[in-house]
Amino acid sequence: MAFPLLLSTFVIATCGLVYELLAGTVASYLLGDSVTQFSTVIGVYLSAMGLGSFLSRYLSARLIPRFIQLQILVALAGGCSALGLFVAFTYLGAVQFVLYAWVAGIGVLVGMEIPLLLRILKDQLQFADLVSKVLSLDYAGALAASLLFPLWLVPKLGLVRTSFLFGMGNAAVALWCYRRFRAHLGPTPYLQAQAAGALALLAAGFAGADTLADTAERKLYTDEVVFVRSTPYQRIVLTRAKNDLRLFLNGHLQFSSFDEYRYHEALVHPGLSAVANPERVLVLGGGDGLAVRELLRDGRPREIVLVDLDAGMTDLFRDHPLISALNGGALRDPRVRVVNQDAFVWLGRGADRFDFVVVDFPDPSNFSLGKLYTTTFYELLKRRLAPGGAAVIQATSPLFARRSFWCVAETLRAAGLRTTPYHAYVPSFGEWGFVLATLGAYAPPARYPAGLRFLTAATAATLFEFPADMSALPVEVIRLNNQGLVQYYDDEWRRLAP
Amino acid sequence: MTTNGDGSRPEGPDDVKRPQPPGEAPPRLLTRRRFLGAGAAVAAGWAGGWGGWGGRWLGAAAPPIAGTIVGASAALGHRLRGGAGAFPPPGETRDVGTVIVGGGIAGLAAGWKLAKCGVRDLELLELEPETGGNARWGEAGATAYPWGAHYVPLPTAHSTAVRELFAELGVIREYREGAPVYDERYLCHAPEARLFQHGRWNSGIFPKSGMTPEEAAEVERFRRATAAWRAWRDARGRPAFALPMEYGSDDAEVTALDRISIGDWLERAGYRSARLRWYVEYCCRDDYGCTLDTTSAWAALHYFCGRGLEDPEVLTWPEGNGWLARRMAARLAGRITTGAVVFRVAPTEAGGGATVDYLDARRGATVRLRARHVIYALPRFTARHVVAGGAADDSGIGDFTYAPWAVANLHVDRAPAGAAWDNVIHGSDSLGYIVATHQALTAAPGPSVLTWYRPFTGADPAAERRGMLERRWEDWRDAALGDLRRPHRDIDARVRRLDVMLWGHAMIRPVPGFVWGAARRAAAATACGEEAGASAGGGGCGPILFAHSDLSGLSLFEEAQYRGVRAAEAVLRRDGVPFVSSLAPRG
Repeated sequence: MAFPLLLSTFVIATCGLVYELLAGTVASYLLGDSVTQFSTVIGVYLSAMGLGSFLSRYLSARLIPRFIQLQILVALAGGCSALGLFVAFTYLGAVQFVLYAWVAGIGVLVGMEIPLLLRILKDQLQFADLVSKVLSLDYAGALAASLLFPLWLVPKLGLVRTSFLFGMGNAAVALWCYRRFRAHLGPTPYLQAQAAGALALLAAGFAGADTLADTAERKLYTDEVVFVRSTPYQRIVLTRAKNDLRLFLNGHLQFSSFDEYRYHEALVHPGLSAVANPERVLVLGGGDGLAVRELLRDGRPREIVLVDLDAGMTDLFRDHPLISALNGGALRDPRVRVVNQDAFVWLGRGADRFDFVVVDFPDPSNFSLGKLYTTTFYELLKRRLAPGGAAVIQATSPLFARRSFWCVAETLRAAGLRTTPYHAYVPSFGEWGFVLATLGAYAPPARYPAGLRFLTAATAATLFEFPADMSALPVEVIRLNNQGLVQYYDDEWRRLAP
Repeated sequence: MTTNGDGSRPEGPDDVKRPQPPGEAPPRLLTRRRFLGAGAAVAAGWAGGWGGWGGRWLGAAAPPIAGTIVGASAALGHRLRGGAGAFPPPGETRDVGTVIVGGGIAGLAAGWKLAKCGVRDLELLELEPETGGNARWGEAGATAYPWGAHYVPLPTAHSTAVRELFAELGVIREYREGAPVYDERYLCHAPEARLFQHGRWNSGIFPKSGMTPEEAAEVERFRRATAAWRAWRDARGRPAFALPMEYGSDDAEVTALDRISIGDWLERAGYRSARLRWYVEYCCRDDYGCTLDTTSAWAALHYFCGRGLEDPEVLTWPEGNGWLARRMAARLAGRITTGAVVFRVAPTEAGGGATVDYLDARRGATVRLRARHVIYALPRFTARHVVAGGAADDSGIGDFTYAPWAVANLHVDRAPAGAAWDNVIHGSDSLGYIVATHQALTAAPGPSVLTWYRPFTGADPAAERRGMLERRWEDWRDAALGDLRRPHRDIDARVRRLDVMLWGHAMIRPVPGFVWGAARRAAAATACGEEAGASAGGGGCGPILFAHSDLSGLSLFEEAQYRGVRAAEAVLRRDGVPFVSSLAPRG
């Protein structure tokens, strides 16, 4: 009886430590700051184990069936932990509570295991022998786990499969114990079925992990995927590496939290600060609310209308606690009104004018999006611009897609707008370009709002200078029926594609 | 359907596979800055995907496709074969100034011109439940869609009435230095056309894939030959081919082209390239429902040269030319009777007017209209059953033959990724499909309607028509899906509904000898009386005027509208109503 139980000790010790490492890793992926996450997870886990050890005294009779039941519970709680935490983060947002509750729960269960084993084995072995064998196997299991986890499990299997695999370990121990000790168990209806059921469930989870957690998709991203959501229009993926959160839409990088302030300050303030009295502001695209955050920082806008097609996107950036923290809760500001409509259609329907318009659309990488870069669109835009107002258009990279950039400027001019192109360096994108479009002349602002990290009045002037490799080229004007921009854009970016 | 000249446009970027996570519908969706950092990994993940619609639905059980054969008023129309005796005698009689028989483009255009000139005393009768003729259209929740004709090339300087209509409807915004400036929303948005050949889509309709230098040289020679015909002028300064065709030359050098088929013409000029022949035949099937052997060289060259440009842009709308038809019909609100089976049109014994007898299918009543003028805007072949009293010279009526077409509208949950407006499948009997939502300004993907065209180009159109009427809806469904499965292997799972319209007499066939033959020329010359030596006050061919594109031998919007306006102006002239002609003077 002793040897099989001692072998179980090794397995459950390995599993126990894997759950702890999983919780710590998932927490640092989701919440960043791995030192804090690991410390708090280990602390909670160890103290919960202590509580479990303490509580084990209340288990008095029929220890072996209790041990088997415990294994089944640990198998389910631990096996589903990684997937459960990802799902909680995606759907609940407030992942901390779930995380610590889950870690504590597993800790309590795991903490009961060793005392229970000691008590089961106390009649089989000498006390000294018992303690030395059980505890040494416990620590050996921990060593195995701590080596396997970073070297093989995470890189090869990923978090979700690892968690299912070790859950299967606990379930297998439960099933094996049942068969081994069936004669000593007494009446235990359903116990074997429960153990087998748990094992089957976890095996199914392991096999279906690709579908359940988009494991395959996660492999496409350099950094750990912490959030995935499909809306009718696009797939939203958030990744994290340390404290750098990155948002991808259909696999295309939208921003990196490390340097997005450069992009959004450059997008908003050179135009906004130059407008005398920007009371009504319109944002087209930009459902991440980061441009809105910059508009609110300025303080002068009284009404901000954000038109973004995808309610899934604007809801996420308004309601999700962690994600909306990126825009400082900008979309919950009473001055902001979110309209989930197609920008072209919306723009054509209304007639009221705006003092400042931010046009932050996805790049013209296909013909549908290309329609948002045509003279027809810009003529509509011009009609919605108040006298003295300004619009700014994100216009892809003047370095990587030089003709595309100047094409946007040229098309704006053909629509009867005066243009002032400028650019800024955003490390995760590279050199990025914007075009200011105004009815009258544009004069760069003498001062910028307080609190900016990138723009200063003194250095902003350099943004309007274009070095030789980004300077203007002769390009065609883009209309709905020619859409040469999509061609330019594709040629230029394809050149750079791997 | 449209063509792309010599297909010399650059390849569209939608041929390019864009980085995309798997399991996601590819590039149509919103995308922004390219995934710079992990591009390689993402691209590798997508490589297993498929360039049409996403492979997501592969293997999924296809939901059943609903649908029906719609608009089949063939039975009603064929009652005319029995003559007036097949209908009860008229139970009521009304007096109307002008009756327009037929609500296709010719009839609507006649009504448009008359209404513009203040004529209120007119009535238009249409057999089908809706007007529009070949330009009929439908509407689903997502979009309007065409049932037939779906574009008009930018009108030439001779198409003055088309330009006038377009200016009225805001399609032409203004004239700058004498040239019309079009509302970009109605110009066919990019990408205009693509061809599925050798397992992939290429931009443009000309089959470029795998072309040898010899073939390229032949294509270039063809291009130069058509350019020469475009530049050709006769002694009176008329071009060889014009739109409307009446403005073109009747010089013997030009009309001789009508005596041979375009197949013979290509043969004699030494064009051997299979891809060039395919392309020219595609254009003939598309515009005329005819093959290389059944299209006259004149008609085929008219297609390449008559629009003034090698590759004219086209105007299009979700419902195709239905957009124009419904606006013309709106001008006649309250004056249109649909479901009206006109079974007898006859000049009155005395008084110079005519009677129009029709069965109001909705009420089951037979009505007689006594009119001063009748504009008979139905295809010529119907006249022998309907027009009494020798008002129509039907000696050559057998020369007027018509190609049957089937058109299927496929309601899909999403337009194919990377679709152009016009999507052609090389080597297919069909003409491919057009996408009804192509002109939409929304960037969001959503439900759409694909209109699939299948002309029946056999040498015996009557036999083709009989075969067509024998087929069940399931046969049409299988034909359309079977054709579209080649480029879109998950088409079955994408289609929610598939309706079919059968056009027994869709298009006049410009077979060799027809356009410049005696029958058509006589019919056209006497259609409005003028050529028959009519004085300003009276008609040489009585009170019944004829207006239909078949009088031109070309089933085109410009021709139909021209014939309608011309008949309307003859009516105005006879009634002494002052008006400014919409038509360019004929030299």
